[in-house]
Amino acid sequence: MSVYFETSGLSMLNVDINKLADLINGHVSGSNAIVNIPEDLKKCDPSITVEATKIYQVIEYLKTNSEVPFNSLHVISGVDYVEWMEVCYMLTHYNPEAPRQLILKVKITDRLNPVLDSIVKIYAAANFQEREVYDMFGIRFNNHPDLRRILCPDDWEGWPLRKDYVAQKEYNGMAVYPDSKMNFEDREFIVRQDMIKKAQQAKAQ
Amino acid sequence: MQSRWDVGEPEKPTINSETEQLKSELLTLNMGPQHPATHGVLRIEIWTDSEIVAHAIPHLGYLHRCMEKHSENLDFRGVIPFVDRLDYLAAMNMEWTYVAAIEKMLGTEVPRRGELIRIMTAELQRIASHLMAFGTYALDLGAFSPFLYAFEEREKILRLFEEVSGARLLYNYIWIGGVWNDWTDEQLERVAQFCDNMELEAKKYNELVSMNKIFVERTANVGVFSLEDCFSYGASGPVLRGSGLKWDLRKVAPYSLYSEFDFDVPVGEGEVGVVGDCWNRYYVRMKEVLESIKIIRQVLNSSCF
Repeated sequence: MSVYFETSGLSMLNVDINKLADLINGHVSGSNAIVNIPEDLKKCDPSITVEATKIYQVIEYLKTNSEVPFNSLHVISGVDYVEWMEVCYMLTHYNPEAPRQLILKVKITDRLNPVLDSIVKIYAAANFQEREVYDMFGIRFNNHPDLRRILCPDDWEGWPLRKDYVAQKEYNGMAVYPDSKMNFEDREFIVRQDMIKKAQQAKAQ
Repeated sequence: MQSRWDVGEPEKPTINSETEQLKSELLTLNMGPQHPATHGVLRIEIWTDSEIVAHAIPHLGYLHRCMEKHSENLDFRGVIPFVDRLDYLAAMNMEWTYVAAIEKMLGTEVPRRGELIRIMTAELQRIASHLMAFGTYALDLGAFSPFLYAFEEREKILRLFEEVSGARLLYNYIWIGGVWNDWTDEQLERVAQFCDNMELEAKKYNELVSMNKIFVERTANVGVFSLEDCFSYGASGPVLRGSGLKWDLRKVAPYSLYSEFDFDVPVGEGEVGVVGDCWNRYYVRMKEVLESIKIIRQVLNSSCF
């Protein structure tokens, strides 16, 4: 079986995650770092959740400390769990002798006005990544140098990757989902299958 | 005006202040969304100071395919054709990353021959992608024939992929738990022939382009990207290796069966120019083609084939 990223011993690619959480708690007061350990470590990766208000200080500490530094940022991604939203930071240490990787998460419960501190000053890669999270989830980043939508047009309405997103009907006089381009056959097929299933169940009863 | 040779102290030349005034006026240009040099759709707002670009703002999103939104309504298998489009020049590798994630989540075992076929196709795809980079790079500098040489070799790979997957660019070939179709002995024989031929071709490319005086003049010491910049911007792949760091996930965190194979990780060594410039980034790719050939030969000689 192919094993990607050795996860035995509660570590994700050379990181002892419990020790790292203790370090974060010790050096950044109020960060409240909690270790998330999945049930099956072969299938999922462990991660650390920190307080949303302290994300700048935590990432600054992770970059500048001498024990377990992370010199690069891979990805910032957003997740919508409906009750709360999550932003994941994937940090890595580019060093062939001691490669390291970490998933850092923050939880945001305010859906109306979600705000985080920008980390562009620490990692330049965060510029576009934060813009994408803003574009897709509507999470604003304080002190971001250029917080605009990155993929959608500037005057687009709504946040497409939120679970409660409904696309606008019209954009600049153009229909967003024109009838001539919709695949109604597939939809009708699914609806028909549902009706057949229900009829069969009714018959069986 | 007194000549400056007559007196001890030379007069301060006025031309400097004039050029300062000229420099203060920047010309705003709009490049794209359609432009022959972008190889895709991208618009860049550029502030130019004669021939120097002082400031540039990229506007992305013209190629946004809403892949995540589409994937919300699909099952795991249905997403594979979408991930092909992430990098249409290396679709096999993109499929593999996605499929590997799903396999890890499900705990699926892949047969040994399946893994070996994946490694072979991924390395062939890497060669095809690097050939495209080589060909169009020379084309953008005004040399047309390297483009034709590169496409001749790339065509052989695409023909093989077409036979096994039915498509030439976006394959949907690597599936969850293995691959879609097996390779015949005749096709594997052609892969071996391609490897032998490609080695000679790579030598020809180096003579033709890599060490060419005009090419070196235009790429060496240009666009130097330091290692600190790479870390800060999260650069990886040939860009990071071109800046001199020996970092390759196939070595650092070996996935699949890569730990069984013997190959080097080429880095920019500054044979010409300085480490991290355009020439070194280019040359890392040329060296990687040879490493990929090494891996493919080991796959062909391994027990399952």
